[in-house]
Amino acid sequence: MNRHTAETDLALYASGDLPVWRRLAAGFHVRRCDECRGLLETFRTDRQRMRQSADRLPEDIDWDGLSAEITANIHVGLAAGECVTPRARKAAALTWWRPVAAAAGVVVLIGGAWWLNVPRSDTETIARALQSMFTGQRGTLTQPAPQEERGPMVGASSAGVELVENGGRMKIEQSGLQPVMYSVSTQGSASTRWVDQDTGQVTITAVYVQ
Amino acid sequence: MFNKAFPIVVAALAWSASGQSLNHKIDLPKDSPVGLLSADFGNSNVIARGGASQIEVNASLSLRNSSQKRIRSMTLMVYAQDGAAGGKGSVAVPTLDAAPGETFSIGIKTLLVRPLTSGSPAVEVKLDGVLFDDLSFYGPDTLHSQRTMTVWELEAQRDRKYFKNLLETAGAEALGKEMLASLARQGDRSRMGVQMVRGRATNTEADREFQFASLDIPESPIELSNGLARVAGNEARAPRFDIRNRSNRAVQHLEIGWLVKGQQGREFQAASVPGDVKLAPNQSGQVTQEATLRFDRPLAIESMSAFVASVEFADGTQWVPSRSALDQPRLRQVVEPSPEEQHLSQIYNKKGLQALIAELKKF
Repeated sequence: MNRHTAETDLALYASGDLPVWRRLAAGFHVRRCDECRGLLETFRTDRQRMRQSADRLPEDIDWDGLSAEITANIHVGLAAGECVTPRARKAAALTWWRPVAAAAGVVVLIGGAWWLNVPRSDTETIARALQSMFTGQRGTLTQPAPQEERGPMVGASSAGVELVENGGRMKIEQSGLQPVMYSVSTQGSASTRWVDQDTGQVTITAVYVQ
Repeated sequence: MFNKAFPIVVAALAWSASGQSLNHKIDLPKDSPVGLLSADFGNSNVIARGGASQIEVNASLSLRNSSQKRIRSMTLMVYAQDGAAGGKGSVAVPTLDAAPGETFSIGIKTLLVRPLTSGSPAVEVKLDGVLFDDLSFYGPDTLHSQRTMTVWELEAQRDRKYFKNLLETAGAEALGKEMLASLARQGDRSRMGVQMVRGRATNTEADREFQFASLDIPESPIELSNGLARVAGNEARAPRFDIRNRSNRAVQHLEIGWLVKGQQGREFQAASVPGDVKLAPNQSGQVTQEATLRFDRPLAIESMSAFVASVEFADGTQWVPSRSALDQPRLRQVVEPSPEEQHLSQIYNKKGLQALIAELKKF
């Protein structure tokens, strides 16, 4: 019995944290050694005193502030965690108006560009070709179909005469009058005849391919 | 975002819809037989529309016959001054009959659409031709106005002579009946909007050959035969005719009337086929045009006919069919009346028989 138990083992013995075999050995020694038993009692007294002081919380604790601080610390922790392992994002909910709005924007953009840049004659040609595709109207003979050829066009109708050429258009009419005759010439002109109802004066308007 | 963009869009639309000023120029040569008294372009404007300028010309020109001869007809050419896309047009008055010193007015209502260019848009009005009562002509004749106006004048002389003769031989009542018959024919005449494209077909359908029936006018200097065209759907193209000069004078130009009859039974004058030819007496030749005629309504063509509408001889004189030649029932129902006949019948219609007789007695 000439060797005392270490102070750390006595402290762990007092808190019940010493492993079983060392606890048995320490208990055997303390029962025969007054000095170690005194020291053990001191540890036990200190431990009880600390537990008593921990049970008494200060009266002016700001619980809301403490809660916010803890919450902020949790967010900081999560953000730091995402730096290491990115968190899976939640997929955006699909709504019907998003693709519709996007498609409408594209249609407006393309339509505007088309209107600004493509001649009307080309648009009419494409429309005719599409119509032919969808209606299935085709020639009935085996002869190859003539190819579409763009050229200046003159026209005469009850609305007057019109020339479409090089992306430009010219139309001539007479105010408040209905034409009494209209015709085209295969050399590249169209003419319309108007008669003034009051004076009988005849005016003939015409357009010409350049 | 929409709230921010909306005022910009509205401002852009407002700008584009606002009119710009239109520069205009009236070009009458110094020695012109007509003088400009005033020009009112007040209602004309220019509107930027997308990538194009829309030029609306609403003008009224007041002119004076400054020559010593009566002006029978006049043609003005209207075109975009820079010569860009937009083409050229004309305004003609075939029944003018302005005495020396007399003033008259001509209205021009034209719409030009052309691509936007830098600078202010401008429209120019030029004198192309003036035809006098003695068939003499003044003008640059860029549009071949002399030929056209001479035909109008010959038809006018023919028709005035016919109506005056009717008045003298059969009386005012017969003249009135003839006018009523003319107005009835004009009102009953079938018409259809037509377009003409130079060059080959624009139709993607296969075509077939169609033969013209030649309406022979025995007095015509030109005999017409073997007329053919290719027809596909709503289009007829590439008309071709064999011709023979059966007169004793050389011919340099002719005009063929192209009549079309649909399956609904209505026949109408759809187009004219001009031909520049050099034909000595008894010489034969051919008139061909690489052009396509397109109708603005669906039309199943049942038959096509053709007749010689006018002939120009090598000396510049012209032939037009006589009234008796046009009295063939077939031609009478289809061939358009002359501008002069329409002028006279409208005077009768609006002002009565006495006003018509007074008009016929003028010249």
